[in-house]
Amino acid sequence: MNGYFGSYGGQFVPETLIKTLRELEDAFFRFKKDKIAKKEFEDYLKNYAGRETPLYYAKNLSDYVGFKVYLKREDLLHTGAHKLNNTLGQILLAKFMGKNRIVAETGAGQHGVATATASALLGMECVVYMGKKDMERQEPNVKRMKLLGANVIKVEKGSMTLKSAINEALRDWVKNVKTTHYLLGSAVGPHPFPLIVKYFQSVIGKEARKQILNQEGRLPDSVVACVGGGSNAIGIFSGFVKDNVELIGVEAGGESLELGKHSATLTKGRPGILHGALSYLLQDDYGQVARVHSVSAGLDYPGVGPEHSYLKDSERAKYDVCFDGEAIEGFKVLSRLEGIIPALESSHAVGYVLKNRDRFKDKLVIVNLSGRGDKDLGIIDSLEGNNV
Amino acid sequence: MCKLGIYLVCDYPNREKFLEAVRVCEDFKIDFLEIGFPFSDPVADGDAIEQAAFDVLQRENTNDFVDRLKEVRAIFSKKLYVMTYANVVFGYGSDRFAKDIECADGIIIADLPYVESKRFKKPFEKYGVNLIHFVTPESTKEDMDKIKNSSKDFVYFVSMRGTTGGRLVLDDELKSKLEYMKFGFNKDVILGFGIKDKIDIKNACEYSDGVVIGSEAVRNLNNNSFYNYIESLF
Ligand SMILES: Cc1ncc(COP(=O)(O)O)c(C=O)c1O
Repeated sequence: MNGYFGSYGGQFVPETLIKTLRELEDAFFRFKKDKIAKKEFEDYLKNYAGRETPLYYAKNLSDYVGFKVYLKREDLLHTGAHKLNNTLGQILLAKFMGKNRIVAETGAGQHGVATATASALLGMECVVYMGKKDMERQEPNVKRMKLLGANVIKVEKGSMTLKSAINEALRDWVKNVKTTHYLLGSAVGPHPFPLIVKYFQSVIGKEARKQILNQEGRLPDSVVACVGGGSNAIGIFSGFVKDNVELIGVEAGGESLELGKHSATLTKGRPGILHGALSYLLQDDYGQVARVHSVSAGLDYPGVGPEHSYLKDSERAKYDVCFDGEAIEGFKVLSRLEGIIPALESSHAVGYVLKNRDRFKDKLVIVNLSGRGDKDLGIIDSLEGNNV
Repeated sequence: MCKLGIYLVCDYPNREKFLEAVRVCEDFKIDFLEIGFPFSDPVADGDAIEQAAFDVLQRENTNDFVDRLKEVRAIFSKKLYVMTYANVVFGYGSDRFAKDIECADGIIIADLPYVESKRFKKPFEKYGVNLIHFVTPESTKEDMDKIKNSSKDFVYFVSMRGTTGGRLVLDDELKSKLEYMKFGFNKDVILGFGIKDKIDIKNACEYSDGVVIGSEAVRNLNNNSFYNYIESLF
């Protein structure tokens, strides 16, 4: 079926958005074929965003765990996370469609910053919805967005996190659909968003594959990435999905695997419909979306992109959890051993590798380091017994 | 003969007041009722209905809504519809949900556009519950033609780009789409979103077969002015 990955995906949105989703799909397919548009995108990635990002052999970390670990350094991308790949792409696409206003949601604030950045660069009006709780815990990114000229709107409803921010962005979009592009920040939402986000993030996987072949002369055994909505993971997975390479998505185990205390959608959820797509979902017996938790705002979300649901069911990728404490351990270990302060989201991938070091013995592993952790110093500071 | 429908959030502000409102609707011979089964993430709704939904969800679940629907059916003699979101149906089990609301005439799913409606149509039709489709100012002629051909009950015409609770503006685009939708279609075209008072109803009814009032009814129910409000509509 059109717009589905196996049985997952679709367009579960109010009827009002259907025509625009059709136009978006059509424009996206034309954009992909348009040589000038493609060239412009690649040019911005290289000269503005700083691609390609390094694939760094983390020698100290490798010595510490006892196997070879490479880090795909998306933290070195302009604005400090992989999110900019997608926002540059989608803003060029929005211009291509003649839209002049951008709305976006943000959790950790990285997508909001990347949206505000690309909007400033390309002259778009930019509105970012952000939950109250996230504005408090990711305050440095709120300041950055404002400086970049974005109108940051605080969402004080529902969970006051990423989920509520997406709700408000969708409501804004329904009202302003004629002038506005909704710049979704993860591989979630109605078709064609999961395809668009994967397309723009696939540069991570393409580069990583080439780089590991250059540096090691062979493909890795495993590729590990954190999964919130799943954009950095699908981006790096896409480079290896056709190879005999293990793909591991790491979800937020939060405090424990009791419903309400984690955001491990693929690990503990079941199929449901939220934010336009049928995918795994954390929900109660009646289909009400569950409260979730993660120390990391970017992973604190009850849903997940539909392609990940498909990769899970088809067993092409596996999904597992890293708990809050283990992620903080990853955050600290990487900082001390390599001089790299990772985002708390990315720290889940690092923490997962640390806690499973026996399982990876003698393996060659790539960890997607999706972002840097400057934004998280306040959280780390405020956690008891974790004074930096 | 312009129809008037009222939307109520199930058990809002509480069971007694909700059922009392249903009785008022019966007494005033309201043409149809839509009972909203609350969802945690109602993206098609504005503040008034969203707040009501959050309030009810703190105490109740689908089992309560189904029980109440049966009570409503016993009180209200005209057409009865359930309005909700896709995951309230899907996450509960579509077949089980359809069976549980068998006493309703139809189901309206706010985040289920025509393109995704197939999988839901079957279970509901098995229990004699019609799936209601939406038309909006964004709908093309081709969209409307498809919906005309597959609607077994009224069509819900969303008056605006936006969420519930906005203001009705009957501009030329809306009028011409309403006209196209009504042409050669033997079911009702019901206009919803932004209808508040007698004047809105009068204006809307020049171009549609009826209206449905949601946010304004919910607000009046919460303010203990429901009876006077309904009376003011005639
Ligand atoms: C650095 C970083 N990594 C990962 C994520 C999670 O999103 P996704 O799963 O879409 O990559 C975020 C989201 O805010 C982020 O900021």
